[in-house]
Amino acid sequence: MRPRRPEVTASLRGLSLLLPFLLLGAGAAEAHPHVWITAVSELLYAPDGSLAGVRHAWTFDDMFASYALQGIETKVRGTYSREELAPLAETNVEALKEYAYFTYARADGGKKEKFSEPVDYFLDYKEGQLTLHFTLPLKTPLKAKQLSLEVYDPTFFVDFQLAKTDPVKLVSAPEGCKMAFQRPNDGSATAQTLNEQTFANGGENANYGAMFANKITVDCP
Amino acid sequence: MKRQAFRTRAVFALAALLTVIVALDAAIPMVMAQSPFAGPRPPSQPEIGGIVGWLLARQSEFYREISATIRSARSDGSAVWTLMAISFAYGIFHAAGPGHGKAVISSYLVANQETARRGIVLSFASALMQALVAILIVAIGAWLLNATAKTMCGAERAIEIASYALIAAFGARLVWTKGGNFVRALQASWPEPAPAMATGGHHHRDHDHGHDHTHDHGHLHHSEDGHVHDEHSGHSHGPEPSELAGPGGWRRGLAAIAAVGLRPCSGAILVLVFSLAQGMFWAGIAATLVMAIGTAISVAIIAVLAVSARDVAQRLSNASDGTGALIMRGIEFGAAGLVLLLGSGLLFGYVVAERTTCF
Repeated sequence: MRPRRPEVTASLRGLSLLLPFLLLGAGAAEAHPHVWITAVSELLYAPDGSLAGVRHAWTFDDMFASYALQGIETKVRGTYSREELAPLAETNVEALKEYAYFTYARADGGKKEKFSEPVDYFLDYKEGQLTLHFTLPLKTPLKAKQLSLEVYDPTFFVDFQLAKTDPVKLVSAPEGCKMAFQRPNDGSATAQTLNEQTFANGGENANYGAMFANKITVDCP
Repeated sequence: MKRQAFRTRAVFALAALLTVIVALDAAIPMVMAQSPFAGPRPPSQPEIGGIVGWLLARQSEFYREISATIRSARSDGSAVWTLMAISFAYGIFHAAGPGHGKAVISSYLVANQETARRGIVLSFASALMQALVAILIVAIGAWLLNATAKTMCGAERAIEIASYALIAAFGARLVWTKGGNFVRALQASWPEPAPAMATGGHHHRDHDHGHDHTHDHGHLHHSEDGHVHDEHSGHSHGPEPSELAGPGGWRRGLAAIAAVGLRPCSGAILVLVFSLAQGMFWAGIAATLVMAIGTAISVAIIAVLAVSARDVAQRLSNASDGTGALIMRGIEFGAAGLVLLLGSGLLFGYVVAERTTCF
């Protein structure tokens, strides 16, 4: 056998074998929900007809609720007052900042809008259910023909579901505005819209959790 | 010549098989952190359907049933059996999905020429350790100290960072060892002397490495190899598998268990705290341990697949010593690199693993 050529090709082959490993090194992720949130959202409009912010009420599943309530001192066992829950609400709201509050607003299919830090936040515990309430003001109020608001966790650790009844409300919205929402269970339909939208935005931010997004749209005249 | 072509194809087929195995457990829903280095994503969306979608749906179902079953177990003792069954199924499905632990263990097994039996032992040991860490965190944090979620989550985060750092360090160690073997195999397969500059560089590195190596694998390799690589040609310098399977193998195996098993599953922590709140802590502990057995079975299957694929590749490539050894050293080096990449990726946030329950 000619000594050189097979050896050279062999080393190339060896290197080509490395490639898949190296490429795969890029991503190994865990993606299935551990926390379930039932969401109710209000879109708050300013007197001039622009969207000023969003008010969320997120109810946690019982397993996460026990975890969150762990170690909190209460006067009466099994009941938690708003005051007793205040430090936890603070922690929650602070931690949510890292995840952009899982809330993504866009005007006319444009860029993601920025939110200021939450205000008027508190937790309540009713009938064994823990709910986080908070208002998320937009940095600059939005005026748009079509406004979209998505609520989801890109890494899908948290599974957001819009509440069964009246999950979205418009508060003092201009007349003639029409609201519609889409649940992630609509499946292919949601993925399809996201796909088109993603193309429109130059392919930014296509991510796994987006397929499980709850999308609210408001069309105003 | 025909035989050569066949062998080439066989090796390529095996490489593809290996890739599929690693891909199955590591790559499917690649969720990269939003980092400046991640760059723009391709405009395609992953589909929810298929095996992964199905796995995710089952996982969610089982997981949600766990809390309901713990609740009913308070009044109905037979629900405990249901709880065990669900936890076991959850464990199996949990591990069958993507996760860094499996990727690290399978890569380590491939890199370090471990046997299938050792792969199974390592899978079980690391899953058990994960369960014990979760139980300890909740037993000490919640039950003994009655700490708040914020405090416990702080502990979880610290442990998580330690675990990723350990994986990265472990990967670096593997890359160092396997890189040396690979370079030696490369030099051995090069019949003509490489340019002077390059040889000097390699030579120096090899020399350093040789010392390190002798600790683990005896002196046979060192003495035979000497320091004059360029005069040897046409046959392999890489250590034989028998040389590598020494006491260092087990020590490294323990390091792998510690690195992977240190980080508990967030799901287990939530189940444990919930069961504690329900006054059913023992049920939570039992569920966590059963979950770990389920996880271990899945991880062991993946580990055995990875080891078998590697063994077949080894057998086929053994036909010619120089080339075959080079290919095997290349695969090992690649697998070692994967461990390092995963560890550092997790540590610096470019690879997102299952999140801690902090929020």
